[in-house]
Amino acid sequence: MNQDRRKFLKTVFHSGLAITVFPSGVFASEGGNSNLYAFIVDTEKCIGCGKCASACREENNVPKDCYRTWIERYRIMENGEVKVDSPHGGEHGFEPVKDTGKVEKAFFVPKLCNHCKDPNCVQVCPVGATYVSKEGFVLVDEKQCVACGYCIQACPYGARFLNPVTNVADKCTWCFHRVKQGLDPACVTVCPAKARLFGKIDDVNSSVHKVLKEKRLQILKPETGNNPMAFYIGLDKEVR
Amino acid sequence: MKHYSHIIRFAVILVLAGIGFLLVRSFLVPDSFGIYGSYKYGFHRGDSDKEQEARPTLYRGVDKCAQCHTEQKNSILAGGHKDVTCEACHGVWQAHNSQTKLVVKKDVSVEACLLCHQKLEARPKDFPQIETLDKHMKDQEQEMDKGISCIDCHSAHEPI
Repeated sequence: MNQDRRKFLKTVFHSGLAITVFPSGVFASEGGNSNLYAFIVDTEKCIGCGKCASACREENNVPKDCYRTWIERYRIMENGEVKVDSPHGGEHGFEPVKDTGKVEKAFFVPKLCNHCKDPNCVQVCPVGATYVSKEGFVLVDEKQCVACGYCIQACPYGARFLNPVTNVADKCTWCFHRVKQGLDPACVTVCPAKARLFGKIDDVNSSVHKVLKEKRLQILKPETGNNPMAFYIGLDKEVR
Repeated sequence: MKHYSHIIRFAVILVLAGIGFLLVRSFLVPDSFGIYGSYKYGFHRGDSDKEQEARPTLYRGVDKCAQCHTEQKNSILAGGHKDVTCEACHGVWQAHNSQTKLVVKKDVSVEACLLCHQKLEARPKDFPQIETLDKHMKDQEQEMDKGISCIDCHSAHEPI
């Protein structure tokens, strides 16, 4: 009897082990995927003209008051106060601000979906409507989405919204349809300051290859563990 | 045997329910579900990739415009606006192609230039900016005429 119980416990333990190991051992076929893309935002070059946001709206038919990409203006005052504004997502540019107090430093931070490697938004989707494509793009399947809004809440970057026209979750796709045709995303195409770069990480001819190797880069909110694939140059500690 | 009949009945119901579940599931789950990507993050309807790929592209970049407008492309590349693409100021290519022949946006107002060149503390310091047109004219020791525009002195394609 004693011997049987020992056998039984052993079997239970082993099968438990097998179940835990199985998903990571068999299904994790990533690693060494040379097809991945990266997006680089140079905040030191951005002039805050808003061409990216309006081009995105036109290219992707983004409804009014929704933004797949937007620009934030950070103004850090002499007394340490941080003022952030983004009128109409920066789409129509920025006006000079007349207020008291000296501005110590100021800069623009364009934002968009970070197309994370380990995205929260994909983990919470209950119907498999949002996913990471084999090229590393985080996409939304409009036909599967049930508009529960979990992904919108899960995204730490606020990059998702509920599209009031299609009534499903919507977000930046890094212009998947353009990239598949060999074009850059619309925002990268129109940026007059070359503040946005996009391309294949491993392609020596792509605009991001050299920058990724040579520049010092940062990511937004690394503490959330999403592993974003959008990198920033010249990010300040105050940027959230 | 009499005492086991209720268990057998229950087992039959359970098996039928299981078969029913698998049958309904096979109809409801799209065929292309889970054919691409990893189990962890890439479990999705495979046709979704193709549907998204098929969307039309509207912005086409400088090379597309230069197929007809070579002269303008060369003049842009010679000046300070060499990084500014056609569509940044003139709008989307799709609105003006060989089929539609629509006239492109040609906004030469001061406001159009100030969208980029208005003095803002957040802009890079070495980026050319002016505070107001009045002040700029005074700095350049020019007379301020009513209705004067940036392009009266600067070429939009080849600014100094």
